[in-house]
Amino acid sequence: MERAVPYTVPLGQREVFQALQRLHMTIFSQSVSPCGKFLASGNNYGQIAIFSLSAALSSEAKEESKKPIVTFQAHDGPVYSMVSTDRHLFSAGDGEVKAWLWVEILKKGCKELWRRQPPYRTSLEVPEINALLLVPKENSLILAGGDCQLHTMDLETGTFTQALRGHTDYIHCLALRERNPEVLSGGEDGAVRLWDLRMAKEVQTIEVYKHEECSRPHNGRWIGCLATDSDWMVCGGGPALTLWHLRSSTPTTIFPMWAPQKHVTFYQDLILSAGQGPCVNQWQLSGELKAQVPGSSPGLLSLSLNQQPAAPECKVGLARSCGGPGKPRVWAGSSLFSCLQVLTAAGSSCRVDVFTNLGYRAFSLSF
Amino acid sequence: MSSESSKKRKPKVIRSDGAPAEGKRNRSDTEQEGKYYSEEAEVDLRDPGRDYELYKYTCQELQRLMAEIQDLKSRGGKDVAAEIEDRRIQSCVHFMTLKKLNRLAHIRLKKGRDQTHEAKQKVDAYHLQLQNLLYEVMHLQKEITKCLEFKSKHEEIDLVSLEEFYREAPPDISKADITKGDPHQQTLARLDWELEQRKRLAEKYRECLSNKEKILKEIEVKKEYLSSLQPRLNSIMQASLPVQEYLFMPYDQAHKQYETARHLPPPLYVLFVQATAYGQACDKTLSVAIEGSVDEAKALFKPHEDSQDDESDSDAEEEQTTKRRRPTLGVQLDDKRKEMLKRHPLSLMLDLKCKDDSVLHLTFYYLMNLNIMTVKAKVTTTTELITPISAGDLLSPDSVLSCLYPGDHGKKTPNPANQYQFDKVGILTLRDYVLELGHPYLWVQKLGGLHFPKEHPQQTVIADHSLSASHMETTMKLLKTRVQSRLALHKQFASLEHGIIPVTSDCQYLFPAKVVSRLVKWVTIAHEDYMELPFTKDIVEAGLAGDTNLYYMALVERGTAKLQAAVVLNPGYSSIPPIFQLCLNWKGEKTNSNDDNIRAMESEVNVCYTELCGPRPGHQLLTNQLQRLCVLLDVYLETESHDDSVEGPKEFPQEKMCLRLFRGPSRMKPFKYNHPQGFFSHR
Repeated sequence: MERAVPYTVPLGQREVFQALQRLHMTIFSQSVSPCGKFLASGNNYGQIAIFSLSAALSSEAKEESKKPIVTFQAHDGPVYSMVSTDRHLFSAGDGEVKAWLWVEILKKGCKELWRRQPPYRTSLEVPEINALLLVPKENSLILAGGDCQLHTMDLETGTFTQALRGHTDYIHCLALRERNPEVLSGGEDGAVRLWDLRMAKEVQTIEVYKHEECSRPHNGRWIGCLATDSDWMVCGGGPALTLWHLRSSTPTTIFPMWAPQKHVTFYQDLILSAGQGPCVNQWQLSGELKAQVPGSSPGLLSLSLNQQPAAPECKVGLARSCGGPGKPRVWAGSSLFSCLQVLTAAGSSCRVDVFTNLGYRAFSLSF
Repeated sequence: MSSESSKKRKPKVIRSDGAPAEGKRNRSDTEQEGKYYSEEAEVDLRDPGRDYELYKYTCQELQRLMAEIQDLKSRGGKDVAAEIEDRRIQSCVHFMTLKKLNRLAHIRLKKGRDQTHEAKQKVDAYHLQLQNLLYEVMHLQKEITKCLEFKSKHEEIDLVSLEEFYREAPPDISKADITKGDPHQQTLARLDWELEQRKRLAEKYRECLSNKEKILKEIEVKKEYLSSLQPRLNSIMQASLPVQEYLFMPYDQAHKQYETARHLPPPLYVLFVQATAYGQACDKTLSVAIEGSVDEAKALFKPHEDSQDDESDSDAEEEQTTKRRRPTLGVQLDDKRKEMLKRHPLSLMLDLKCKDDSVLHLTFYYLMNLNIMTVKAKVTTTTELITPISAGDLLSPDSVLSCLYPGDHGKKTPNPANQYQFDKVGILTLRDYVLELGHPYLWVQKLGGLHFPKEHPQQTVIADHSLSASHMETTMKLLKTRVQSRLALHKQFASLEHGIIPVTSDCQYLFPAKVVSRLVKWVTIAHEDYMELPFTKDIVEAGLAGDTNLYYMALVERGTAKLQAAVVLNPGYSSIPPIFQLCLNWKGEKTNSNDDNIRAMESEVNVCYTELCGPRPGHQLLTNQLQRLCVLLDVYLETESHDDSVEGPKEFPQEKMCLRLFRGPSRMKPFKYNHPQGFFSHR
């Protein structure tokens, strides 16, 4: 009977270990499937868990449906970043990027499609990839991270076409200006650099920490998050969360948030940001804190907006609004969130908080 | 005239009737008796009918005379007077006659009365006689029925049947010719026969008694002979002992033990057999001994075949106790409780020797009325241990074997039936008695072959050899591991209390040579205190802070930075690692909820503990974890980004060799130490 269990591993050890693992889990990245019904999230143990948003949001959702439908070991190290295309899920961690087919994943076949490693200079340590960015127009993927370079990968051929050098420390985040193929990158060195992809060179540099208004030396100079909306850019990290006008390279709004922010995004005429502390912050462009919605994790690292409308009539809701600050706008509130259009937030816990509207946390998905 | 004369005569006569009569009597009674005028006598002579006629006639005459007088008077005249006179005289005569008649009537009446009275008296006498006679009759009848109802004693005697009597009795008793016709004689004869038979049987009985006496005497003699044989045999055995010892064949001892083992209750017997077998087959250091009084066990007249017997026994005993004295209710309950928690007088001692010559003494008891087994443990070591204050609970008999198997804390009875027994005598839980009785761990029941399935409680639980055998090896190994890990912890605690982290030489490679942070405090804290710490919430919520664990607080210091570490020590150490929760006091309070790197440090010691186990069996884990914590604190402090705006040198200059300071979105510090190059990198 119980004799089969070897004496060094009595029952209970595994449970304790699992509990400790869950306790020390950090979810670094999230990505919504092309159909909008599933959410992939990657943690610090290199696992990717697929949650079914449609099941968890349906009216007959049980505790079971808040658990992942499938969990698989994707990387050896943490999964820092993930993006999805119409067919693929790209995940990046220590040194390599892996591609997975959504179709296969949903069939629970967890076999990677391919893996690629950017050309690194030899180093004692394999540099990590902190950010992935899809450039749909060029059908390419940009990787950035530990080796202080942006690597462009052609998705057609799977080859690395160019490397953009300029950062002096590792890169935290990337953002794409959609109109003209330009990419913004923010790094540990405290600079936000603007790259022209066609010319493959740096066109603009903003050293945020040098601006006295937003510099916070005790937090460091690193730029942890970045988002852009053509002429406007918002970035945060060690320095305060700041809204910049890109053409003039001047900070227009400094958001009064003490804690370093790890993720920021434009949402309609609001800016959503998250970082240290359990709250998702909602800002007016003018710098007013509209709301702070508490989540269940002590710190948040990523926010994900499921922009896939479940029904065609919802499409209008997520259209990017391009406007300057100060313009009075009315946010339509919860009505724009319908069905699967939810905000998910994850960070230093094993839970992914789901916000069905911006006002409160509805429930948490859990590893 | 005549009437007048008659009138005159009449009174004379009367007078002479009266006075002379008396005078005459006075003169001489005797001579004048015959001549004495007696109206009474006259009465007898006269006919009452004629008197009546006379009376009627006299009355008519009187009426006539009265009417004539009336008539005369009314007519008036001179001559009338004479006539009236005449008539008056006549009437007087008639009156006299009436008077006479009246007297006679009176006398007659009196006479009649007397006669009636006389007759009545006679009747009364007769009646009384009749009554007496009736009573006598009744009495006699009663006597007769009494006689008829009389029961002779012989009727109760169960006589032999009639046919048998005639067949067997000698003719001088049966006397068939007389008795056949007369049932009375027959019965007498049968009684005679009965008496005769009884006399014969009494004779026989006496004979048998004397026979028995004789045999008893014979037995006595033989017994004496046998008992005189025993010492001789003993002396032979004694003499053979050195030979046995010399040849390493402790038959005698084993034999004795088996002899005693026969009196063990079934679970202890199962354990005895299995432990002995295991000791012989796998572990020569295991020694098994039986303790307690065999006589007391014998006195229980092997009642414990199954638990049902148990219960009836205990019931009977309970009844006895209640009958004997009527104490107060409390004392009664107390006695009942004691009775219920009674141990079998025999117990089993198991001595388990570990590699370093420390010995785990286990004493197994069997609670007869609860049908469970308990164990008391004691650890002895060859060298005297200096007991550190924080190690108080490590080797205490109460907790040394706690949670040998997960969740088996030995504070609840494993037999579901016990709860009902407890309810009867008002025991809330066995927990209060565990110190005295020993712990009823589940594995103890299994070693004794007792299995209590949770889903369907069985009526009787019977000790099962195969169950015991299947658990023996695993449990013995676990016990040894437990003792060794506890001793190892004990040793580590002794150093930790003095602020020394006793890293052994074979674990030195896990840490850099220079570690600046120092352990300054290692104290035990109460479970409740741990629960109330602000930074241990996660562990409590994850259900990892049960009350069977031991709790400690460590303080690691470097300069102005103080790192508090709350430690949960699972009894399953070292296969289950100690769990650390950190709180750094340096430039504000930093815990896992506001600093990702503190969280990473926790995960370094809690999750990546496997690389800290050191050489098997990994008892050095706690020491290594603490040393690792010191290293982590060094790294944390030295890599903290320097605030350029503050004047002066950094408090903690970077001495560690690091490839990169920060990595990844959460800006982790390089906590991983690489041996033998000696640099730090990210995990």
